[in-house]
Amino acid sequence: MTHFAYRGRDEADLDIEVDYVVVGSGAGGASAAVTLARGGARVAIVEAGAWRDPEDYPTSAYGAMRDLMDDWGAQVTMGRALWPVVQARTMGGTTVINSAICVRTPDDIFDQWKREHGVEGLRNRVLAAQDRIEEDLFVSEVPVAARGRSNLLAMAGATAMGLKESHYLRRYVKDCLGAGQCLQGCRDRRKQSTNINYVPETRERGGVIVSCAPVDRVLTEGSRAIGVIGRFVHPNTRAEGTRFRVRAKKAVVVAASVTHSPLILMRSGIRLPALGKFFRAHPGTGVFGCYDDPVDMNVGATQGWASTQFRVDPGLKLETLAIPPELVASRFAGGGTELIKRLSRFRHVAMWCHAVRAESVGSVSRSLFGSRPVVRYELDGADMLRFRRGMHLLAQQHVAAGAKSVIPGIAGMPFELDKDDIDKLADAPLDPRAYIAILSHLFGGCVMGRDEKTSVVDARGRVHGMRGLVVADASVIPTNLGVNPQHTIMALATVFAEHLLA
Amino acid sequence: MLWLVRAAIVILYPRTDDWPGAEDCDLDAFLERFRRESTFLMWLGVVVGAIVFHLTPLMTVFVPAPAFLLSPALADRHAHKVSSSNVYLVRQAIFLVKLPGGLVWGSHPKVRERFALPALGGDPGTFRASEKANDP
Ligand SMILES: Cc1cc2nc3c(=O)[nH]c(=O)nc-3n(C[C@H](O)[C@H](O)[C@H](O)COP(=O)(O)OP(=O)(O)OC[C@H]3O[C@@H](n4cnc5c(N)ncnc54)[C@H](O)[C@@H]3O)c2cc1C
Ligand code: SF4
Repeated sequence: MTHFAYRGRDEADLDIEVDYVVVGSGAGGASAAVTLARGGARVAIVEAGAWRDPEDYPTSAYGAMRDLMDDWGAQVTMGRALWPVVQARTMGGTTVINSAICVRTPDDIFDQWKREHGVEGLRNRVLAAQDRIEEDLFVSEVPVAARGRSNLLAMAGATAMGLKESHYLRRYVKDCLGAGQCLQGCRDRRKQSTNINYVPETRERGGVIVSCAPVDRVLTEGSRAIGVIGRFVHPNTRAEGTRFRVRAKKAVVVAASVTHSPLILMRSGIRLPALGKFFRAHPGTGVFGCYDDPVDMNVGATQGWASTQFRVDPGLKLETLAIPPELVASRFAGGGTELIKRLSRFRHVAMWCHAVRAESVGSVSRSLFGSRPVVRYELDGADMLRFRRGMHLLAQQHVAAGAKSVIPGIAGMPFELDKDDIDKLADAPLDPRAYIAILSHLFGGCVMGRDEKTSVVDARGRVHGMRGLVVADASVIPTNLGVNPQHTIMALATVFAEHLLA
Repeated sequence: MLWLVRAAIVILYPRTDDWPGAEDCDLDAFLERFRRESTFLMWLGVVVGAIVFHLTPLMTVFVPAPAFLLSPALADRHAHKVSSSNVYLVRQAIFLVKLPGGLVWGSHPKVRERFALPALGGDPGTFRASEKANDP
């Protein structure tokens, strides 16, 4: 057998041995696993979520929360503002629910890692890995037919504003149909989430897939990692099943995400001072533009346009993002007949969003009871200025594209701002509680570096002071990136796996 | 507690001349399913949101009665004001009850038709079982 799913308590424990165990099947885990499998090793992927194929995906936002999201998408930051920290719990990890935007690691990031963290020697290997991944995952620009009006308007607005850097997105998508369903999983099998490529390939190359299997901790013998253990959990009922133990002859690769990897290491007795520290993110929010003609933002690629012009100064990325009416219904302020009136204009609104390259730093720790992650994080004043500036820019872009008004969604400000009033956003409140933001690009918790006091892993992902224990996901990234992170995560995981094989 | 949540959602997403309200969206079955399928904490949040919704008309429309006892016009005014409250925790609590309301309202076939979107195809909730010994 090569795929083991949930096993009830009345069934026998699972006990298997392989060369490498990879914990988590998202961007990092799947890339590491397939690299090891291609190198001839026998690999087991142990994934907390269920293995769902595109036919199994939900179609509603409710179904996406239930079947695909980690903790129903209900994880929030602990700080003054309770902002959702969104990640997936399913085979393929967050690549199943993301927009598949592919951006290469910017050059300045390698310099920054070297300067600030002593991390060297990654640039060429990461870029070479990104070449291969782009080929594997059919990276291409959103096809003309799938652009949809919201993306076209964004391009027109950016051009009218004179933005020098403005482009249709390159994504891990083969022949996008523009179904606008990326956030619920692409039922058309166009989006190349790792559950439909690297995971099955790992299995075909002799690997073992264990799903519905949240790892509790890494087994160690002295300072050597020798496997992982946990208990199966039923994806629908959340009932605990029997135990599993997967032994690793060569190494354990932890890639369970920024919030879960640090916790697994903590539960495994790793006591490095930087563990769970240096959490960073690209918090973002959306501004709706209101247009005379219908925009129908759910028609066309979920995210099809972006600008990185403001990546360095003030530290922002601008993008389109289509969300379904079920989410707009609670996102719009108000209630009762006034809310229905506002929602009745849904066809005429386009949502564009920003991702702030925030410098604020937080932490990931264990909850008092149980194993849930607690994310402590709050934007400082400088980041709030960036945040507000991004909203102003988005409003300007909407107006430049022909919007008659914008809906900024800021508490304490009017629900809608006429196009002549958008400069009021320059004085919008700087209290994070006034905004509805989400954190979808996460970094840190097991950061790379040379110094054991300020980092958890070295430049090959190896946990300091341990043998055979590697971290290969977004948690190793010691800085924010200012661009979408999946490509960097996949490439780093690939490079770490290549080092293991060497 | 279900009726408390239901009553809040019906006021937050009311039926109007042109649009179906949450009560037209098979709300009881949805809430029953939501309670059964979601996590304890998620459901607790929704219930707390509903309690806050019903207990705050004094803050919004200056009437010392729970929202479910208000006249439809007053309840409607309360729904709008409390959802836009200046108090962050009140706003957050109301968001928790607006969320399931929005999920059920926004997925209703009539609403989607008005938004020129196809009806949703259902959430199978299926996943790959362990492969049998003789599977490829
Ligand atoms: C809505 C959304 C849209 C996004 N869009 C983009 C985009 O377009 N482009 C881009 O570059 N980035 C995007 N991102 C970010 C990107 O998807 C993530 O940064 C990336 O997937 C993180 O990779 P990872 O390997 O660290 O974690 P994940 O991909 O989240 O994978 C972690 C895996 O580990 C599993 N796991 C967790 N705990 C355990 C455990 N105890 N035992 C076993 N398994 C466990 C999880 O179930 C999950 O499958 C988006 C994110 C979100 C939320
Ligand atoms: S836009 Fe639609 S077809 Fe294209 S990748 Fe996303 S879900 Fe698939």
